[in-house]
Amino acid sequence: MNPETIPTRRFFLKAGAVLAAPMNGPALAAIGGDARVAEHEDQAAIRIVHQDWLRDINGGRAVAQTQVGETVRRIAEDHEGDADMIAVASDGRSASARFACAVEIETALSRETTLEQMAHAQGEGFVRRTERRAVAADYVKTRYGWTIARVEFATA
Amino acid sequence: MSGTPYPKEPMYRYAFTRLSPVQILAKLGPAAHGGPSSISPISDALAGKTIRIVTDKGPTLAYKFAGLNRLSVAENGKTFQASYGALTLDSVVLFAHLIPGTQRGYAVVIDRATNLATVVELWFSGYQDNREVQREIWQGHVEQAGKDAPTARHAATNRIEGKGFYWKQDAGPETLEFYPSAAYSHFVELSRQGGEFGYCAPSDYIRISDELYLYTRTECEFSGTFTLYVMDLNRIEQIGLRLGFDPHDALEYYLFRGTGEWLGQIAQFEKFGDIAGNPVPRPSPEKGSRRVYRPLQTMPKMTKAEVDAAVARNTRVFVNRTTAGNGAAGMATNGAAPSDKLVGKAMTLRYDDGPALDYKFVDAETLNWRFAGTGAWTNARYRAWETAPDAFIFGHVLEGTPNHDGHMVVVDFDQGLATCFNGTVNTPYFANEAAAKTWFGVIEAEGIVPPRRRRHHFTDDLVGTAITWNYAPGLTSMHLYSTPNTVSWIIFTESGAGGMEWSGPGAFVKIRDGLYFAYWLEDACNGTLGTITINLRTMHDAGIGYHCGTEGLSMSQIGAHARLAGRFDITKYYQPKTKRDEA
Repeated sequence: MNPETIPTRRFFLKAGAVLAAPMNGPALAAIGGDARVAEHEDQAAIRIVHQDWLRDINGGRAVAQTQVGETVRRIAEDHEGDADMIAVASDGRSASARFACAVEIETALSRETTLEQMAHAQGEGFVRRTERRAVAADYVKTRYGWTIARVEFATA
Repeated sequence: MSGTPYPKEPMYRYAFTRLSPVQILAKLGPAAHGGPSSISPISDALAGKTIRIVTDKGPTLAYKFAGLNRLSVAENGKTFQASYGALTLDSVVLFAHLIPGTQRGYAVVIDRATNLATVVELWFSGYQDNREVQREIWQGHVEQAGKDAPTARHAATNRIEGKGFYWKQDAGPETLEFYPSAAYSHFVELSRQGGEFGYCAPSDYIRISDELYLYTRTECEFSGTFTLYVMDLNRIEQIGLRLGFDPHDALEYYLFRGTGEWLGQIAQFEKFGDIAGNPVPRPSPEKGSRRVYRPLQTMPKMTKAEVDAAVARNTRVFVNRTTAGNGAAGMATNGAAPSDKLVGKAMTLRYDDGPALDYKFVDAETLNWRFAGTGAWTNARYRAWETAPDAFIFGHVLEGTPNHDGHMVVVDFDQGLATCFNGTVNTPYFANEAAAKTWFGVIEAEGIVPPRRRRHHFTDDLVGTAITWNYAPGLTSMHLYSTPNTVSWIIFTESGAGGMEWSGPGAFVKIRDGLYFAYWLEDACNGTLGTITINLRTMHDAGIGYHCGTEGLSMSQIGAHARLAGRFDITKYYQPKTKRDEA
C-alpha cells in the first residue's frame, strides 16, 4: 500500500464523512486495527438505523414528538447543517449520535376562539412549521443489532 | 301601512319546525306528481327523448321523457314514473324531478356540447334535522350510441372563488351572492328579508366550461333549503332549482331563470396553478357527508345565574394565553405591543346616549374609573394600543355591573372624540352571549376642547370590502363586510383556499381617513364580541375580544396583519328604498 494514501483516509475518518462503501478491512487494519474496523461498522449500522427511522417517520409508520409534546410530521436531512456525529462507546454496546435535520412540527390549535374551532371543524386544527434541529439519539446494541434508545430534537 | 320585508328574527334565531319524515313525505307528494313549478316557460329540449346517464361512482339513470313534464326513470334497474321540469341555458339543460312515494329526487345538469352530466341526488331526512336537504354529486356522461365514453368530466373547482353577483329570479327574489370561499358561500336576501344581514352556507362549485358553472348551497343551520343553479359568467344569467321548506313549512320546489349584475372579483390565495375544488375534505365516504360548521351545537348555553357565578369565579382581563407547547397566542400573535402613553392621563369620556365615565390611568395595566360625578373609584385592569398617532383603543371590564359590561373604547385626542362599544352579556337568547351598543361621545380633559356636535359616525366606507387577517402562524381568516350590518369571516385551509365561513351582526365607525372601528357579534356561535380598529395604511389592526363562557369572563387582545383582498361594489343595494322606488 502506498503510505501517501494513509493521511487521506485518516482525514476522512476524522471528519466523520459518509463513506460510499465500507473500507477494506486489511487497509483499515493497517491504520487503526480491528477496533477501528468495528467502530466504523457500528457507525455505518447506526446510520442505517437512523435512515430507516426517518423513512418510518416520513411514511407515518412511526411517531415522534418534541420535548414539549408537539408532533413531528416530517424530517429531512439538513445538508447545510453541522456534519453528522456518531460516537460509539468503547465497549461497543452503546452509542450517541447527532444529525442535522429540518423538522416539520405540527402543533394543535386550541379550541378557545371561534377561528380555531372552525379550523378544527374543517379538519385542519393544527399549525405546521419547519425548524432546523439536531436529532440527538442514543443507541444500544442488542443481539439483533443497533436500536434507538432515545431521541431528542435539540437546538441546531 | 305597506309593511316591511324584514323578518322578526334573523335566520339563526328562527325556530324552524322539526318536520318528521311523515310530514315531509306528505308535503312532497303533490310536487312529486306535479313536478317543479316555474314562472318561465318549461323547456321542451328533452321532450320525446330517451337518454341514459352513467355516473362514475353513482347511479345509472335511464330516462324516457314523455312531453314537457312526464318522465320515467330507471334507477339502477328499478323504474319510477315522475313529473319533471327543464330549463336551458346555452348548451346546458337542467332538469329536476322527485321520486313519488319517497323523500328523494334528482337535479341533473347536461352539457349538450360535451354530453357530460352532473347528477345531484337529493333527499330529506338524512340528518338529525329532517328538513335539511342532503345532496350527493355524481359526475358522468350521457351515453352516445356507437361512441366511446368521454374521459373528461365536470369537476369541482375554485375558479368561482372571489366572485360576487346580484341575482334576480324570474319569480322576483333578489339576492346578493358572494363566493369568497371554495367550500362555502355568502348570501344576502335583499327582497325576502330586506338585505339587513348576510348568511353563510356550505356550497359546491362545479366547472362545466370556462364560462358555465354549477353552484349549490344548503342553508344548513337555518331552513335547510337547497338552491342550485347553473350560471353563465359572461351573460350573467342563471337557471336553477330551489327545494326546501320555508319558515312557514311550505314546500318550495321550483325552477327559476334569473339575470344578474356583476359585483366584482376579490383575490384568491391558493398557490398559482391550484384550481382544485372541494378544499375541505369530507369527513367520511358516506353518501352526502360534508363538513358543516354548526357552532350552536357546541356553544355552551348558560343561564344568568351560571353566568354570574362563572364571572365571579374567573374574570380574566388581558391575561397572556400560554397553551403549553403550541407557541400560539390565539388571536394576537401578530398583535402590536401595548402602549403606555395613556399613563398619567386623566379624562372624562362623555357619551351622548350613554354614561359619562371619569378615568385616571395609573400605569400601563391599571386604571381607575367611576361614573362621572360619583364618589368612589374602581380599580381595573386595562390595556391600550396606539392604533394611529394620538388615537388609542383601550378596554376594561366594569366590575359589579349587572350585565358584566366591558368597554372597548377608541379615544382620538386629535379630535377630542371617543367611541365606545359597550359589551354586555345576558341577551334575551343566551345569557353568555354578548351584545353591543355603540356610544359616540367626547373627551373632556386638560388641553382638549371637544367639538359640540361633531362625532365619530357610522360609515359604509368598508361595505363590500374583503380583508385577510393573519393572527398567528396557521391562523388566517378573511373578513367580508357584506352589508352595513354584517361581518362575515372565512377561514383559510392549509392550501390557501377559502374554507368554512360564518357571519354575524356588525357595525363600522369611521375614526379618521383610513382608520375604522368595527365590531362583530358571534350570535348563535361562540357568543363573542370582537372589536377591532382597522388601520388601512399600516394594514394592521388593534382590537379587543369580549367573551363569556363556562370558564368565566375574558377580555383579550386581538391583533393581525392585514391584506386587502378587494372590494365588491354593493353600496347601491343598501340605499334606503320605498315601495314606490321598487314599483
